[in-house]
Amino acid sequence: MAEPVIRFQGVSKSFGSKVVLQDLSLDIPRGQTTVILGPSGTGKSVLIKLLVGLLEPDEGSILVEGVDVATATEAELFEVRKQIGMLFQDGALFDSLSVADNIAFPLRRHTTLSDEAIAAKVAELLAKVGLEGIEELMPSSLSGGMRKRVSLARAIVMDPEIVLFDEPNSGLDPVTSDEIDALIGRMKDELGMTFIIISHDIVGTFAVADKIAMLYNGGLIADGTPDEVLHSREDVVRRFLKRNMELPPL
Amino acid sequence: MITAFVRSVGRYGLFCWDCGVSAWRHGVRWDRVMGEASKLGVRSFGVLAVMALFVGTNLAIQGHAAFSALGAQSLVGMFVALAGVREVCPLLAGTMVAAKAGTEMTAQLAVMRTKEQIDALEVMAIDPRAELVVPPLLGIMIALPALTIISIAIALGSSVAVAVWQLGLEYGDYVDWLVSNITVFDLTAAMIKALVFAVVIATVSGWFGFFSERGPIGVGSATNKAVVVMCIVCITLNFFLTTVLYG
Ligand SMILES: Nc1ncnc2c1ncn2[C@@H]1O[C@H](COP(=O)(O)OP(=O)(O)OP(=O)(O)O)[C@@H](O)[C@H]1O
Ligand SMILES: [Mg+2]
Repeated sequence: MAEPVIRFQGVSKSFGSKVVLQDLSLDIPRGQTTVILGPSGTGKSVLIKLLVGLLEPDEGSILVEGVDVATATEAELFEVRKQIGMLFQDGALFDSLSVADNIAFPLRRHTTLSDEAIAAKVAELLAKVGLEGIEELMPSSLSGGMRKRVSLARAIVMDPEIVLFDEPNSGLDPVTSDEIDALIGRMKDELGMTFIIISHDIVGTFAVADKIAMLYNGGLIADGTPDEVLHSREDVVRRFLKRNMELPPL
Repeated sequence: MITAFVRSVGRYGLFCWDCGVSAWRHGVRWDRVMGEASKLGVRSFGVLAVMALFVGTNLAIQGHAAFSALGAQSLVGMFVALAGVREVCPLLAGTMVAAKAGTEMTAQLAVMRTKEQIDALEVMAIDPRAELVVPPLLGIMIALPALTIISIAIALGSSVAVAVWQLGLEYGDYVDWLVSNITVFDLTAAMIKALVFAVVIATVSGWFGFFSERGPIGVGSATNKAVVVMCIVCITLNFFLTTVLYG
């Protein structure tokens, strides 16, 4: 496996008396797609938020490109974040800005590109996510699937090294959901970025994953290639997968 | 209860400090500040003008009712000048701005928190305080003193109208009584009050919005709490400011 771009080492996180993650260690390989599975409420979103420094771990270190985000200064953290794009669960588009302004937002803040260059980049990204010509629409007039696509365009506008997807399929109908999966698969091939996908959608997940990690009870109960996970002997893993797909016999 | 209160005040103080640090580190976008200030000025002007208008009229009527019977008509002008300039107009403008701009800021931030837009800004390596709190804060600090001055002018003007047309006082005398009782110090004090109220309104509404619970109930309760706290803090500080400036 390639050299890891992200390393969780002995990470623990509690809220009050509620232990969410306990002594978790996980490597995310560079340029590959890692899928994080697990039942609702097991801390998948917490894991991602720790990774981008929105939450601080109680213990352990989280190295992104060698920088420990848990102890980084604000300036270091900002440098790390510039290499990360994130697709939030409901898109997190800014309501007061048009689609084009949303996508252009990071460019306007972090680069000195001209307006024409920015407009061209926005158009290119919208084409890439299959939404040509909707620059002037406001987020409130978009459907759930469109909102996710626009948000995806915004997440990759800075050509980040790492892209995080928090439940890219949640709240979508099966057809739209398939389209998003296909889009992610295409992006993966085209962009060569490191993808981390949090998902409930097991079938779609196995199609794009190079690596699968399954969270349960604060730790990892599976961590390997899709094939390895399919052949896991762990009872919870088998139960979790069986609801959605045929498992090979043990 | 008391420890929870102290802790909240501490967190609020930390938030204010962080906002200052953000402004210092990431710079202030003056175009946004002026945009916020003019938006606020334009939007609040109408309703504030109407309220100031009728504050002036009533101060004149009350002053007349109280002092004319004593034959001390000159005190009417003094009463209007002192009450209007020193107390009522700064509070009136502050309350209006709290109700309009303050609640809007809280609700907007709370919605952004709920929809993970504040998190999104952070992940884009953009400081959300510098982006979302500092411009309206400075905007309010510019707009509120201006609105206070305007409301003073309108209240005094309407009191003149009532004094002359309704109460039958002599125009020249009345204006004389007014003007001789308003000093530069009074106007400065009113500006100081306006600035203090502006900081309270912006930071309190920013704090409640920024750290709102997620979800529609969180948005509603953040807005509610922000208004209550802003009003109580402003009126309390007004007492201390009056004590310090005039006591
Ligand atoms: N800021 C927070 N404060 C307190 N508790 C939190 C916070 N964030 C998450 N939690 C708790 O941590 C646990 C894990 O939450 P998380 O959102 O990571 O779950 P998840 O695996 O993403 O679930 P889902 O699939 O439903 O999104 C939950 O029990 C949640 O209540
Ligand atoms: Mg989640």
